Amino acid sequence: MLLDTVGRKAARKRVTRAPIRIAATRRRRRRAWLGLAYASPAILAYGYVVIVPLLQSLNYSFYSWNGVTTARWVGLANYVNFFTDSALAQAFGHVLVLIGFFAVLPIIFGLVSAGLLGRGRIRGQGVYRWLLFLPQVLTSVVVAVIWKRLYGPDGPINDALRAVGLGHLALNWLGDFNWALPALGLIGTWTTLGFCMVLFVSGVVSIPNELYEQARIDGAGPIAEFFAVTLPGLRGQVAIAVTLTVTGALRSFDLVWIITSGGPGTSTTTPALLLYQKAFLNPDVGQAAAIGMVLALICLVIALGVNKLSERNDA
Amino acid sequence: MISRSERLVNHLVLGIVTILVIFPVLWFVFTALSSDSSGRIDFSRLTLGNFGVAWQEGDFAHAMLASTVITVGSVFGQTILAILSGYAFGVLGVIGQKYIFPVILLGLMLSSEVFIIPLYYQFQSLGLTDSWLGLIIIQIGMGVPFGAFWMRATFRALPPSLIEAAQIDGAHSWRILWQILFPIAKPAVFTLVLLSFMWTWNDFFLSLVFISDPSKQPATLALGVFQGQHSLQVNLMAAGSLIVALPVLILYVLFQRQFIQGVISGAIKE
Repeated sequence: MLLDTVGRKAARKRVTRAPIRIAATRRRRRRAWLGLAYASPAILAYGYVVIVPLLQSLNYSFYSWNGVTTARWVGLANYVNFFTDSALAQAFGHVLVLIGFFAVLPIIFGLVSAGLLGRGRIRGQGVYRWLLFLPQVLTSVVVAVIWKRLYGPDGPINDALRAVGLGHLALNWLGDFNWALPALGLIGTWTTLGFCMVLFVSGVVSIPNELYEQARIDGAGPIAEFFAVTLPGLRGQVAIAVTLTVTGALRSFDLVWIITSGGPGTSTTTPALLLYQKAFLNPDVGQAAAIGMVLALICLVIALGVNKLSERNDA
Repeated sequence: MISRSERLVNHLVLGIVTILVIFPVLWFVFTALSSDSSGRIDFSRLTLGNFGVAWQEGDFAHAMLASTVITVGSVFGQTILAILSGYAFGVLGVIGQKYIFPVILLGLMLSSEVFIIPLYYQFQSLGLTDSWLGLIIIQIGMGVPFGAFWMRATFRALPPSLIEAAQIDGAHSWRILWQILFPIAKPAVFTLVLLSFMWTWNDFFLSLVFISDPSKQPATLALGVFQGQHSLQVNLMAAGSLIVALPVLILYVLFQRQFIQGVISGAIKE
């Protein structure tokens, strides 16, 4: 009896609620159409500039085309070239070196300093942050000009070497087959270091205090504390830094183009540089498009992979 | 509480890194003030004259105008599209957003080299190469992923009661957006404007591909040419570089908090 009234009450409730819910759903749908209208300028602009050309790029990459005469279908040949063409392989090899400078060095250095700085508020922190972040806001051309000059035959680096009696080590760094690539790499270290430090230091602050107290109670020294608390606590920030700096190294173009244009010889070529040359200077457009697709794919895999990895460790 | 020695270590670490980072820039500033074309710095003979000479010889008046037009146009377009699409995805909801929004977010991970080649041929046939308008269109389209993502997050962070109130009356959505939500979201919009300004002004690659007419080139491209021609006049080269970097540097000096927080939180939210 009791159950029956409860059931009937619930039924009545359902009956009276249903039209409201339908009306709400209908209203939400109407609103979503309105939303589509609001979003449409952005969707159209993005589709026109990014998505449609992206698909065309994919299409281009199956052709051999010099930009003028009729394109010829070559299937996967442009992709096979990544394994057979030594210039392409070399450019990707250079990227591995650049990753060491753009990503590994600044991240390690940033982590060490975040560990050393610890959690205390430092007087003048804002000023340090402001100065450290400065290379991030400079345009790549200016960065290139600064460093071209620093590395120059009579630039301050060589001057300094001569001043301390190491003049025999003075070198035209950017014109040297062995040194040009590391010299470029170091510029990347310089630009990303401040970003990594600011990112990590701000991350340390948000690690719960109890974790540090617990580590102290457990008798952990500063180094053990770093590996037990600080490093795991910064996992998210490290994931971001890895993604941004590694993809930055993969895509590096501006600095290389302005400073060495890939030289001397082909000792500082990068995939993006080959893409530019093959797309616009001595056209092999299909190959250039294939480079673009491969770069995008690698960047995507890195971004998703790093993200997955950092999340899985969370559990 | 941190001890005195700890504090000393902190300042030592930060101080050393900061000097390493800032030295090249400082040294470059003094090179721009040097009266010697080899760039030797003599502190007793500093001059501002290089800036005037570089401005003339590099034809930076034209180039800065080009950069200003391109940047202002792009930032304006990017910001409007960001507000509208952020409102749509964050407050109103969009038909098919389950599919559309991830595709837009995908753009955060793509960079220009994947779409620039077909776009170049497309623009060439439309007469949009060697055109400021062409560059503005590209910048606006490329800015959509970050803008939509940034403003959606901003609107979603507003109090739910406010959002609900905004959702009740669909017919007045335009007024609700501009009279109620926009004023509250202004600080986030301002950060977006600053970041867009920096990214557009600092662009080099797109301009290199799409602008070949010297009279149309923006400041970064003009500087690339100028530094090639003046490799023996280091003080002029440095002065020209500072001219090109100045607008963003001024904004950075005035609004450093927004810049740093914007870049950092933009990266984290991604």
